[in-house]
Amino acid sequence: MTPVVEARGIAKLYGSLVAVDDLTVAVEAGEVLGILGPNGAGKTTAVRMLTTILAPSRGSFSVAGIPHTRPEEIRSRIGVLPESAGYPGGQTGEQYLTYHARLYGYPRGRAGEIARSLLDELGLLERGRSPISAYSRGMRQRLGIARALVNEPVAVFLDEPTLGLDPAGQRQVLRHVRTIARERGAAVLLSTHLLNEVEENCSNVLILNRGRVVAEGTVSDVVSRAAAPRRLRLQVAPEETDRATLVLAALPAVQQVELSESQTGWLAVELAAPGDANGGGPAPNDVLRALLDAGLALRSFELDGTRLSDAFLAMTGAV
Amino acid sequence: MSLAHAPLERGETLARVERPNIWAVVFERELRDLWTGGRALVMCFAFSLLLSVIAYLVATNTDLNFLEQRESVSLTLQVAIAVGALLALLVAGDAISGERERGTLETMLLTPAPRRQIAAGKLLAALSLWLAAFVVTVPYVWRLGHGVGIVAEALAVGLVVGTLLAIFLASLGIVISVFSGSNRFSLSLSLFVLLALFAPSQLPSSAEQGWAGNLLIRFNPVTAGEHFVGRIVVNGHSWSEDASWLVSPVLAAVIFAVLAPVVAGRYMSLRGGVSE
Amino acid sequence: MMRGRAVTALIALGAVLALAAAVHAASSPAGISATVDRARISTDLGSTFAFRSTIVNHGPAADGVIAHLNIVSLNGDVYVDPEDWSTHRTRYLGSVRAGGAQTITWRLKAVSSGSFGVYVAVLRRGGADRPPITAPLVAVHVAGRTTLNAGGILSVALVVPACIGLFTLGLRLRRRRA
Repeated sequence: MTPVVEARGIAKLYGSLVAVDDLTVAVEAGEVLGILGPNGAGKTTAVRMLTTILAPSRGSFSVAGIPHTRPEEIRSRIGVLPESAGYPGGQTGEQYLTYHARLYGYPRGRAGEIARSLLDELGLLERGRSPISAYSRGMRQRLGIARALVNEPVAVFLDEPTLGLDPAGQRQVLRHVRTIARERGAAVLLSTHLLNEVEENCSNVLILNRGRVVAEGTVSDVVSRAAAPRRLRLQVAPEETDRATLVLAALPAVQQVELSESQTGWLAVELAAPGDANGGGPAPNDVLRALLDAGLALRSFELDGTRLSDAFLAMTGAV
Repeated sequence: MSLAHAPLERGETLARVERPNIWAVVFERELRDLWTGGRALVMCFAFSLLLSVIAYLVATNTDLNFLEQRESVSLTLQVAIAVGALLALLVAGDAISGERERGTLETMLLTPAPRRQIAAGKLLAALSLWLAAFVVTVPYVWRLGHGVGIVAEALAVGLVVGTLLAIFLASLGIVISVFSGSNRFSLSLSLFVLLALFAPSQLPSSAEQGWAGNLLIRFNPVTAGEHFVGRIVVNGHSWSEDASWLVSPVLAAVIFAVLAPVVAGRYMSLRGGVSE
Repeated sequence: MMRGRAVTALIALGAVLALAAAVHAASSPAGISATVDRARISTDLGSTFAFRSTIVNHGPAADGVIAHLNIVSLNGDVYVDPEDWSTHRTRYLGSVRAGGAQTITWRLKAVSSGSFGVYVAVLRRGGADRPPITAPLVAVHVAGRTTLNAGGILSVALVVPACIGLFTLGLRLRRRRA
């Protein structure tokens, strides 16, 4: 299948400052790509290049087969929710969407129909005739998503769509994001710094750091490639912590054992990475088996280091 | 599956859809925002207060002779032209840089709407301020010029000169707005330019006699327009007699009205003045 | 002998008359006279009025004839700037043939009220020894009228802002309620 959004080596330079370097990405219809990165990583710059707001310093990209040298045509096929989108407070939601539909070339009557339909889809129909100044933050974000959909886009770019929303608002917005990909078949690029959003909603992820791609692929691929250190926390009876420490330290898959000073009976166990010369196989299993074989009663355990957040922190050097 | 409203078939381009003129869409929207939003009405109200004060002050002398009455009409007309053009300039100066600051420019740039048509629509909406100011001026000129037979001529010359100057200044405001990184800078620069254009009118009449002074007065569209109004309304000259004074206002209006959309098409961007 | 004295007397008289005519010719631009078609004009402030002056050349062909209009306040109580009354006050007539005449129509606008005298002076270019002559004075009486009063403008000065202000307020209240 031909990707809807395809970029090859695009970069953006401001003099000697490299905002984005050598970005290559392909997003297919119905796919949700998460673009992750800390503040200043170049996510917004990347999105602005792909949405023709910024011209790339080098490289090329296309949307729905339209090369980046024809930006007006690309803009007619994409929908975008910018990070810091403002809204005219004096207009109503319906007026706002109708206006933008007309900017895409729809006649007045049809633009009005589109506006009302999208308001209904995004749960704003009842407030469609209220001024936007009276909308909550969540309502404005949903209005922004609606605006991104007026032209039935083949690709939708959402830059931090859940910024400033409460958990309920975030869930609502992310539900619409999944709907866009699933029901409309659009390629969705979701730029965010919230890792759980990517984990729960994206089929693929691309991690940017200081303008460069440091990881890309499925979430599980990225996690396993990240070689994030894994930690195991387990609880034994307080009088058995010494014996447990001796048993664990003797295991080749265990790199370090620490007794928690604040929580009685808790041990923090740092495991070797898979493929490490010191260990092999499923290290957590070895740990649990060793403790049971030693006759130690295990009260509780937790396994860290299998989350995207850990991979992200490891890759962006924020550990 | 797309929604029930789906206006296009998958893959169908918008080129096949009947396109409205984008400048007309933008013009209509800007006009609504200006007038139903109340911003323009407040400006018109303030303008009418100013005119009321000036008209009352010049009219309190009940023994005005004919010529002084003509001068009263001329003064009121020139104030109306100056302030009306100022209002158009301020609205135009806010057109792009204001959207940039309010965060609404990016969503507009993300549409396929040609930037020069966006600028053209905003320019026309800004000119509505001048037209409204002119309409407000009509009863004052009618009252002041009543009885000396100059109302029609004064209104005609005021409309022509005012419209030319409003087109020139509003277009200039659009250009400034495109290049300004902030709205504050855009409005400050617009005001400065306006003051600079009006400043030569404060020169003593002796300064206008020399070739340099005369050239400055004629070259400057604002002072040239003022002179034309004065000669028609006060001195009773014919239009053809002083048509040369209209050359710079006409040229300025035409040049900048063409320049503004061209500049916007090339340089309108998220950051002021940078083609990105 | 009696006849001879009479002839001499006639010749002398003719010489004196010729000399007198010559003197008269020297004191007027080559025998030119100017007349006007109206002696009195009554008009209102701001109105335009007109009169005609006719310049007749009673002598030989005259070159460089110029007619010039002037206005003066008869009571001295009103400042008069002739340019305000008429912008075409000087007419260059060029040559007037012997026995020829030219009629000029003068249009003026009454810019002040009061009593004024309007006259036309006729002179010749380069005629340092030919003093100008004037046509008879046209007495112009301009009736004053109160064309403007503060009370009249006051109604406009109050009503216009009031209407705009009320409309603006009404619109804002309507939007707030909506």
